[in-house]
Amino acid sequence: MGIVLGNIIAIYRRELQTYFVSPLAYAIAGIFWFLAGLFFVLILLGPEGILAAVADLELRSQRFGVPIPPIDVPYEFIKAFLDRMGWLLLFILPILSMGLYAEERKRGTLELLATSPVTNWAVAVGKLLGVLTFFITLILPLMVLEAVVLSASEPAAAWTIPLLGHFGLILLAASILSLGMFISSLTNSTILSAVLTFAVILMLLFIDLVAKVIGGQIGAVLGHLSLLKHYNNMIQGIFDSNSLILFSSYIILGIFLTAQSIDAFRFQRN
Amino acid sequence: MIEVEHLNKVYGSTSAIEDVTFNVSEGEILGFLGPNGAGKTTTMRILTGYLPATSGTARIAGFDVHEDSLAVRQKIGYLPENPPLYPEMSVQGFLFFVARIKGISAGDRKSKVAAAMERCNLTDKRHVLIRKLSKGYRQRVGIAQAIVHDPPAIILDEPTVGLDPRQIIDVRNLIKSLAGSHTIIISTHILPEVSMTCNRVAIINSGKIVATNTLDNLMSELTGGSGYELEVGGEVALAKQMLQNIPGVNLVESIPMLAREGQQIEPNRARIRVVSHPGDEPGNLIANSLLQGGFALHEMRRINATLEDVFLQLTREEKSLSPHTEADEVNIGEAA
Repeated sequence: MGIVLGNIIAIYRRELQTYFVSPLAYAIAGIFWFLAGLFFVLILLGPEGILAAVADLELRSQRFGVPIPPIDVPYEFIKAFLDRMGWLLLFILPILSMGLYAEERKRGTLELLATSPVTNWAVAVGKLLGVLTFFITLILPLMVLEAVVLSASEPAAAWTIPLLGHFGLILLAASILSLGMFISSLTNSTILSAVLTFAVILMLLFIDLVAKVIGGQIGAVLGHLSLLKHYNNMIQGIFDSNSLILFSSYIILGIFLTAQSIDAFRFQRN
Repeated sequence: MIEVEHLNKVYGSTSAIEDVTFNVSEGEILGFLGPNGAGKTTTMRILTGYLPATSGTARIAGFDVHEDSLAVRQKIGYLPENPPLYPEMSVQGFLFFVARIKGISAGDRKSKVAAAMERCNLTDKRHVLIRKLSKGYRQRVGIAQAIVHDPPAIILDEPTVGLDPRQIIDVRNLIKSLAGSHTIIISTHILPEVSMTCNRVAIINSGKIVATNTLDNLMSELTGGSGYELEVGGEVALAKQMLQNIPGVNLVESIPMLAREGQQIEPNRARIRVVSHPGDEPGNLIANSLLQGGFALHEMRRINATLEDVFLQLTREEKSLSPHTEADEVNIGEAA
């Protein structure tokens, strides 16, 4: 067990190291921070932003004398922001996961990993942890920004809901990355891997809508598989153990399929 | 140490290797020699557990490469055809990574990585990123990753490809220095490499092992040791007949005469190759009997069998056999 853990850590460290020297990773981080920052500012301060909307409501209530229900501005803001972040992931995550295995296959380093005393699943777990750590590094600065805004709120905002929301964001990312890793293990073309991952995520995000159209029992089952539905619950502060189980299932499924596909690949490649 | 029995590998309908069988005992260096595309890489990939065999077994240190893959992987160091390197890592960083995944304990890592770098002459380059290294250095990093964990069995797929002559000598010396304490298989299509580094040779052609033996035995067995090249004047057919009867002579054959520049081929002269039995030196007898028989002896030259001869003979035999069988089949078909 100690050896397996050591292997996972070795793979994890190497994976993480590549992100910090890879120009692509810096480009992704730059674009991600720019877009996330843009959403942040627009949602908070933009002409259609939350502050403007609330001010507008208050103005109207004063003018017409209609009392408005109290609005939890920090909560609404975090909800709207994390909702946009969920969409942003759709574009960012396939690029993060595309090279996980495709790159190893292209360089021939898979031959090193496959002939070393390391199990396939230990490699998969190490890689997933590595890319997830990089993703968490991406969202950390945004969390600082949010903390600054929330701490300016009067009365003090509740911290639990944003924390749960971010936990949901990380779980969503981990699920998508895990499936993306599996797709990456099927090909040695990073582009193909990114495009396929994008398509699969799109499908998993929209399965909710498809489920509503189908209706009935099948629709209900499909609806439960929707990543977006469970994510939306979490950013609204609804924590259901179902969500946790669903996200964990996606993550474990991705790792399992990756390990299997590497095994199968060794059995039939020519 | 390494036992390979009746290995077969079929890709779709084409067979990459057929009935490959050989053994390598502990401390020995086996040269795995064959033309490109003969099945060397496939065999090595099966040995390292990277590919499964279609049938047959291979065992390293007593463990089946397929059944006990993890145990085997602990016992081997492997340099694939293309060295498996992470270009963004430094030489030292990469070797530390390999040491970790090969399961070297934290306390030993530093000394083992340092020893591997020392052996492969990489110590000066230890902080250089792999992508900045020349092909020769990359190949050496590839060898270093195969030996860093001091495995009992080392499998090197064409270790000297892409190196300059000086580096080739370094690598050969390195391989020789590993012998004894390690069991090594090197694949190559470079003939001198085998004669310089290996104790034994397995020659593979079109997926089949055509010979396994020590180098000396192989050469003497296959070409009948050394021989002589003669230029004889007189009745050539008679001369050949006489030479054939000399004790110690194995084979007598004519070689085509080539006209030297500005000269005509003289009639009544012929070049003859005489191949002797291994261990026999019938030079005196040949010269004496020719002269006594009234023939003119214009030239007599000693020829030694080279590995090239062995190799070409083996791989040519293989090729010349197949048209024969095809022709036979055609004949049978016509007869029917």
